[in-house]
Amino acid sequence: MTQIRIAGFGGQGVILAGVILGEAAAIEGLNVLQTQDYGSQSRGGHSVADVIISREPLYDVMVTKADVLMAMSQIGYNGAIDSLREGGTLIIDTDLVKSDREFIGAPFTRLAEEKVGLALTVNMVALGYLVAKTGIVKKESVEEAIRRRVPRGTEEINLKAFRIGYEEGVK
Amino acid sequence: MRYPFSVGRSDFIQGDEAIARAAILAGCRFYAGYPITPASEIFEAMALYMPLVDGVSIQMEDELGSIAAVIGASWTGAKAMTATSGPGFSLMMENLGYAVMTETPMVVVDVQRGGPSTGQPTLAAQGDVMQAIWGTHGDHSIIVLTPATVQEAFDMTIRAFNLAEKYRTPVVLLTDGEVGHMRERVNIPDPDEIERIYRKIPKSKEQGKYPFRDWDGDGVPPMPVFGRGYRAYITGLTHDERGKPKTVEAEIHESLIRRIVDKIEKNKKDIIDYETFDLDDADVAIVSYGIASRSAIRAVKILRKEGIKAGLLKLNVVWPFDFEMIERIAERVNRIYVAEMNLGQVYHLVKEGANGKAEVELIPKIGGEVHTPKDIIERVR
Repeated sequence: MTQIRIAGFGGQGVILAGVILGEAAAIEGLNVLQTQDYGSQSRGGHSVADVIISREPLYDVMVTKADVLMAMSQIGYNGAIDSLREGGTLIIDTDLVKSDREFIGAPFTRLAEEKVGLALTVNMVALGYLVAKTGIVKKESVEEAIRRRVPRGTEEINLKAFRIGYEEGVK
Repeated sequence: MRYPFSVGRSDFIQGDEAIARAAILAGCRFYAGYPITPASEIFEAMALYMPLVDGVSIQMEDELGSIAAVIGASWTGAKAMTATSGPGFSLMMENLGYAVMTETPMVVVDVQRGGPSTGQPTLAAQGDVMQAIWGTHGDHSIIVLTPATVQEAFDMTIRAFNLAEKYRTPVVLLTDGEVGHMRERVNIPDPDEIERIYRKIPKSKEQGKYPFRDWDGDGVPPMPVFGRGYRAYITGLTHDERGKPKTVEAEIHESLIRRIVDKIEKNKKDIIDYETFDLDDADVAIVSYGIASRSAIRAVKILRKEGIKAGLLKLNVVWPFDFEMIERIAERVNRIYVAEMNLGQVYHLVKEGANGKAEVELIPKIGGEVHTPKDIIERVR
């Protein structure tokens, strides 16, 4: 069983990233649960997506100790860092998050702006990085999930963002 | 029949969405509702899907109107549903009794949130159990189902329609904000493989005159369809077999109400559904249902590893209630714990069932978070 928490602020597409990761796991026939927690404001408040993936029947309903924490903003990091288990993988946006724990990461927002040309795709860049680093689901499953889940007409730019993040992760 | 969503494969969807899709696959073609967190996604899905399956989804002025519209739709022969959460469920209590008294098949979904009153709109709770069973006044019985996963939300919605049609009664699908909003992988079967039960309708003009007569001895009268030639009289007043008000004759009231109660209570074996985990050789039993039971399963697994012989009874139906089964369990174990997201509701049923044969203790949880396995383990250990 793997517990993944993605934390950021509202507007970063944190929950869509969690849904797509969960859908990819479902496509692979894994048991998967995704929940979310967010502030009532549409932008700027905290936003957390939890994904639990398991080959065994899945009873757990919440992330108790995250194996992977991806913090896409400082507010997300501050709220979620205590949930990362010792020895767990911490992934951060290196431009936006200061961490006193060991981390890996990349400047996801800058990559989205400069290489994809659309800051809105930061969630897909970060998801690509996470998938490359953790190997928790296959790249192809995520690409299929992206095609199913993003608004029609935006498939290509989201796939591009995902691949840029993925390449950053395999570097 | 084409469905506006994929069938015969698995999908990754929210519990609320699963309930809406299951209702449509069960044959529901009328939905009336009023938006409320955390049940609104059921309504959103119904508003989207119903026009595509020649059904109706209508927003009413409030929850009183919603349940009333569903009762009316059911009498025109439609399988009908409404969904709400605590505050709306409270508003539906009067007409839920009307549905019981008029023996109207229908499904009411309550996606529980923290209460009383407007309480905690976005957070889960299991505080409406007693309301689902006893919230409407007067002697009656009803059926209450409690899903713990998105798959169960799907499967139990279909079952809720089948039980409603079979026993000509309202059925409550009692879920919660956690199951409603979580996404899980759910298998959506091939529509041809889904068992669908349809209500008995009158076989003759003579039968059609008596919408409340038990013709075949199972306690469930055939139900005429409005607009198909019968002049049925439907009232919430105590009525005779033709449906005419008879409000002072003790024997008419007694035979009507006993039949309404007995058609459910005497078919308990058919209706009740539960699962057990490691219960056969257990010294300690945990009873739980719905979302809380998931943490209880994990707790049992951890306790077993520690050498504590714990077992779980997971209730999928909380009414009718199998008091006798609880007594049989109580005879075998030293102690029974009841884990539920409230301050003690099914606890009282279990205590009555245990009949003093074992200690019964409550593991409550309120505030919006589901029990952690640790919450349960620490009490049992």
